[in-house]
Amino acid sequence: MTLWRFAARNIARNRRRTVLTLGVVVFGFAAIALAGGFMAQNLDGLAESTIRSGMGHLQIASPGGFEDAGGFEPGRGLEDAERIAAILRGDAAVKEILPRLEFVGLVSDGRRSVPFLGIGVDPIAEARHMDAPQTIASGRWLADRDERAVVLGGGLAKALGAKAGDGLTLLATGVDGTLNAVDAAVAGIVHLPIKELDDRWLATGLTLADDLLAAGGRVSRIAVVLGGSRGASAAGRRIEARLREAGLEVEVRPWEALAPFYRQVRILYLGIFGFMGIVLVVVVLLATANTMMMAAAERTREIGTLRAIGTRPSLIRGLFLREGILLAVAGSVLGALLSLLIRTVLNHSGLTLPPPPGGTQGMPLHVQAYAVAYAAAAVAMLLTLAFASWLPARRASRVPIVEALTHV
Amino acid sequence: MTAPTPILRAERLTRTYRIGAATVAALRDVDLDLAPGDFLVVQGPSGSGKTTLINLLGLLDRPDAGRVLLEGRPVGDLAEEARADLRRDRIGFVFQTFSLVPVLTAAENVAWPMALRGLGEAETRRKSLALLERVGLAARADVRPDLLSGGERQRVAIARALANEPPLVLADEPTAHLDSETAESILDLMAGLNRERGVAFLVATHDSRVVARARRRVELRDGRFEGEGRAA
Repeated sequence: MTLWRFAARNIARNRRRTVLTLGVVVFGFAAIALAGGFMAQNLDGLAESTIRSGMGHLQIASPGGFEDAGGFEPGRGLEDAERIAAILRGDAAVKEILPRLEFVGLVSDGRRSVPFLGIGVDPIAEARHMDAPQTIASGRWLADRDERAVVLGGGLAKALGAKAGDGLTLLATGVDGTLNAVDAAVAGIVHLPIKELDDRWLATGLTLADDLLAAGGRVSRIAVVLGGSRGASAAGRRIEARLREAGLEVEVRPWEALAPFYRQVRILYLGIFGFMGIVLVVVVLLATANTMMMAAAERTREIGTLRAIGTRPSLIRGLFLREGILLAVAGSVLGALLSLLIRTVLNHSGLTLPPPPGGTQGMPLHVQAYAVAYAAAAVAMLLTLAFASWLPARRASRVPIVEALTHV
Repeated sequence: MTAPTPILRAERLTRTYRIGAATVAALRDVDLDLAPGDFLVVQGPSGSGKTTLINLLGLLDRPDAGRVLLEGRPVGDLAEEARADLRRDRIGFVFQTFSLVPVLTAAENVAWPMALRGLGEAETRRKSLALLERVGLAARADVRPDLLSGGERQRVAIARALANEPPLVLADEPTAHLDSETAESILDLMAGLNRERGVAFLVATHDSRVVARARRRVELRDGRFEGEGRAA
């Protein structure tokens, strides 16, 4: 008779109580696993949307270029964009190279002038990897980098009263300090998820942006799309080293370093998840400790007998500890199965969550099978049950044997 | 020729209990020697201190004064784990209420003290079956205690007490909950083990049937042995 088998028999002796204890563990596990899966899905979704918002997995700028807020700083642009692109194409991890020329200015229909945040892009490559071209609400996306056209955010179009096909004039300060203006047609209107951006966003081809800023072929940054978001930091370090080896003075940063909003949301989620986890662990601890105390109290006389015939107090504690561990393992296995079942039901329910703060679009409810959350739930249940069983075990091993033998 | 070392010796054992504001002396200055292979019956009415004596001699409790020597060795200062090891290896217990573990079968109950010594499962199984055979319960080896009669349970308890071949068995009212016929068979069993294996028995009882089997007997009243107060 091993201690494990003895512990298993003790668990099975009061089935109703065991079922209740297991129920607490199962639901505690499922709550942690599902909340973790939901959090992971949201963070992955936010990461993906951040990357596809125009950032890419990596960004390359001239030294100090990342400190420029929103505009194209004369003298800081990347002059060797074509050479940089050629080196990037030699890296197996790079899927796409997206040069961009960022600027600020005024857009006017002749009657009203509205400030905008502009971006000059390669429309074809942009459409393959970024979200903005997919959110066309009216009209169309830009046809190529030489087209004399713009795409407006929905809020900006509304402020101007513009629609697809209308003519507009863009005004911006060029690199030589002069105020330049170019005419362009509205190709289409997009609907961006962040309202503040939607109210100011304007995209055009690289050629028109270059004309407006008199940039002379320079771009402000190059966004790089990789095969996946994992390992972006390592890829960034490798690419920066290669570019520097080629004599190019550039900085390469991964998307996460350029996305403070993502980092803040991640910290917020971890805080919420951690707090919820602690609450769940406390609830499970109180419920299971109570039932295990009852079980130990009922067995006081029996424990007295075991000790009388030579069972060491440490072995009594080991017996209770094993009972807690067995309950935790069984509860975790059942909890994992329940989590997977609930996850399947939720993911097929078609439920949509409301838009996040600052967003305009809801997202479908989806819960990941997040291995880290499952592992965290299992560890939490194991430690909780071990602690819950330690209390009665300690008590049981300390009651004087004579007192235990006469316990009623 | 010198007398053999007593397997168990008690010297001026005293034990008091506090019940509310009152202090009750359960045992007062009791001396006792038990030789190897002896069969000593401690008689006395309820409340005379028999169970207290068994508890102190069996290292289940500690005296307020006096000391216990097991095989010549004082045990009063030993730590709880060491006392547990002595109980496991050197003393067998038979309790009034059988005190079997309900989730273990008869064979597993008998095997438990052997498992505590680290014996393998096959060996403990073989030995526990042999012991159950000795007490006439081989056929009930895989039955749990709740399906056994009172007499069968006490037989299992005796087999368990002998599991690690201790030189000493302490029995507290072993026939109290048994009918006459079953009690006689249990007493036959204990007497046989005493005779055949040389196991020393110290039995606390007020059952006259048990007293009739004793090689020696002493009477405990109000926490003292009658007469000179020494059972030696």
